[in-house]
Amino acid sequence: MTATERRSLSFVEVGEAVKGMRSDEVVLAISPAFADFFSQTIVGLPHAEVVRQMLAGIEEQEVHARCVRVKHSADLAVLAHTAAKLSGSGIGIGILSRGTTMIHQRDLPRLSSLELFPQSPLLTLETFRNIGSNAAQYAKGESPEPVPTLNDQMARPRWQAKAALLHLKETERVDKRCKPTEVTPDFSASATG
Amino acid sequence: MTNVSVVGVDIGNSTTEASVASIDSAGTVSYRGVALTRTTGIKGTVKNVEGVVKSVMWALDDAGISPADLDVILLNEATPVISGLAMETITETIVTESTMIGHNPRTPGGKGLGVGTITDFESLPEVGPGEPVLVLVPHIFDFDHVAQQINTAVLRGVNVTGAILGNDDAVLVANRLSVPIPIIDEVGRVDAVPVGMLAAVEVAAPGQSIRTLSNAYGLATIFGLDPEQTRVVSPVARALTGNRSAVVVRTPSGDVEDRTIPAGSLDLVGAKRSAVVDVSRGAVEIMAEVERVSPLVDVHGEAGTNTGGMISGVRQGMAELSGHDLDDVRIQDLLAIDTHVPQEVRGGVAGEVTQENAVALAAMVRTKESGMKAVAEAVESALRAQGATKVTAIVGGVEAEMAVLGALTTPGTDKPLVVLDLGGGSTDAAVRGIDDKTDATHLAGAGDLVNKLIDAELGLDNLELAEEVKRCPLGKAESFFHVRLENGAVKFFDKPLPSTTYARVVALGEDSMNPIPTRHSLERIRNVRRTAKERVFVVNALRALRAVAPAGDLRRIGFVVLLGGCALDFEIPEMIADALAPYGIVAGTGNVRGTEGPRNAVASGLVASYAARVAADHKPNESAAVRIMNEGVAAGA
Repeated sequence: MTATERRSLSFVEVGEAVKGMRSDEVVLAISPAFADFFSQTIVGLPHAEVVRQMLAGIEEQEVHARCVRVKHSADLAVLAHTAAKLSGSGIGIGILSRGTTMIHQRDLPRLSSLELFPQSPLLTLETFRNIGSNAAQYAKGESPEPVPTLNDQMARPRWQAKAALLHLKETERVDKRCKPTEVTPDFSASATG
Repeated sequence: MTNVSVVGVDIGNSTTEASVASIDSAGTVSYRGVALTRTTGIKGTVKNVEGVVKSVMWALDDAGISPADLDVILLNEATPVISGLAMETITETIVTESTMIGHNPRTPGGKGLGVGTITDFESLPEVGPGEPVLVLVPHIFDFDHVAQQINTAVLRGVNVTGAILGNDDAVLVANRLSVPIPIIDEVGRVDAVPVGMLAAVEVAAPGQSIRTLSNAYGLATIFGLDPEQTRVVSPVARALTGNRSAVVVRTPSGDVEDRTIPAGSLDLVGAKRSAVVDVSRGAVEIMAEVERVSPLVDVHGEAGTNTGGMISGVRQGMAELSGHDLDDVRIQDLLAIDTHVPQEVRGGVAGEVTQENAVALAAMVRTKESGMKAVAEAVESALRAQGATKVTAIVGGVEAEMAVLGALTTPGTDKPLVVLDLGGGSTDAAVRGIDDKTDATHLAGAGDLVNKLIDAELGLDNLELAEEVKRCPLGKAESFFHVRLENGAVKFFDKPLPSTTYARVVALGEDSMNPIPTRHSLERIRNVRRTAKERVFVVNALRALRAVAPAGDLRRIGFVVLLGGCALDFEIPEMIADALAPYGIVAGTGNVRGTEGPRNAVASGLVASYAARVAADHKPNESAAVRIMNEGVAAGA
């Protein structure tokens, strides 16, 4: 990535999300405040780059991607499972504003998952690319190696307070009455030197 | 008293089996109970006592006989062989300079063939219009930027014919280009690719493989090679066969070497003849020499070579296991098998992997007499302590003979009969002719070698998993509720499967499902499993039968009964039956006493042979037992 480009991301709503018919798609569900109230993850990764890398990971596997915004919950399992149930392939990804991510499959119990990335401070753009890539491979019926992740015992004490605050802000934006909406990502690149 | 209660105990490498029976004075046997436990310690050592006592107690319980009423316990003289394994690669592929061979990224972009000069991505703006170039892009560049720059260059009239990327970005870049070009990605060491050289990139459509770069004359056409140079590049073309994408760089002295590692030679010492054979010549020649010099007396490896290391490793392991001096360990049989192991190419730039040839060796060592007498004494005192106050322990017979006697209780068998015991470490065969003469042979290579082959060929690096792959049929978890089995059938589940198995090839155990964490397809794993079994069990079955058959003629064997753990396998018995069918042999898994399957043959044989002696003696049982025990001691000494 070149340092001269900085992208911003906004999601344009196109209507109520419906269940996909094509079996070669992965649905990405974003949380109520993702790329909206918040614009970066807990460690400052821009949401624009996070989404771009995940979508790139899916595209590189020649699989179609679709995005939905979930407003009725800020629970990661709900997000990911909603995405999976809307996905034609049954594979969905859920992501919270602070970066915590999950790959889900529609036949699994909600509180289970295919792959869970619970330690948001340790996730890098490369991890997000791999998450997209793995989700797409599951959609194709392949058997990818689970994405390698770091594990840091100190992440919890160090980041728990900030994570709790971010989660509080996120849940403030939950609107129980809303149904998931189909959104399209709009990247606007601006050269900032 | 008229009836005597006996228990026959077979101490095997992995399981200890017991059969309880009552014998009346006429020698009529009625079997009362059986039990099976895990063998404790190494077979033939006092550590076995724990397992023996446990199995006897269980068997008595099963039969409803009180320990106090047990008269005789019969143990077998264990087969005095142990076996060891070793594996060594004998070829290696070295890439000099930077021809990328075997690099097969999973998602190349675009399709077609592109030929041009390799140009660094950053100097792309300086390239003049019309020049054919292949763009080389390091990791640091983003796919959007790369696509943009290539589009700009194409607009200026530069003839961009293809691209080589460091990142896994080929499809992303290809999707963003105005003019489609073939793109290869995931090249780990972009810095090692020589800039300024003529090169060719080829990508085939999904499901297809490349045509031009895998053809020696295709390479000759692109690079304008003369016949001598074409001869040099032909290994390159061969190495690329079957790939979906490839890059070949023409460098002044670039070469792919497919070389044989000087693996060293084996010195086979036979009873009458001896021979020296080079390990790199492969399994077929080694086995031909082994057969020629047989019976083997010992085997040495050439000092200072891989083979030398391999043989001395086996020797060392066996010396430790048996407690013998290193000099007393003599290798009495050897099984060599050709195999392929995935190895990283030396000098490669993208972590390329090729299948290198390797030879796996299983060696068998005959140990000095086993410590069965000591075991018998220890078992006796341990059982007495458990309440079997009047028990006498007897070493009742040699394992091979007892196995034949037990196998003959299988319905539908007759002499001449051969017993094939397919164990973990060795393949044992015993024959009983019409004249009741018994002959036995012990060969290296069995279940453990199959595990090793599966482990190496699939690159699992996990012998327990390899054992699972060997024992269980395969399936693929296609959803959370159904598994497609290897025979094409589908099995449905009410509850969702564990998420670790989703979309994976799994080994289907009795009540477990083990995911196999590799990218190999179900067909490939199945193929590896079946060929490993064939190369070990079918080859050894034929070798063993040739060794024991009258005059080495397989047609003179009537019946073959398979025993041992591997006889319970779901495909080995039918493989062996298929291989033996042309010789008119009836082969199948044993069913000892019509009820026990391939288990308990030796234990039943011990009881049967004891009963025969009781009947022959017509004497009070106690004194017979003592007399036979004395005979046993004399025979063992």
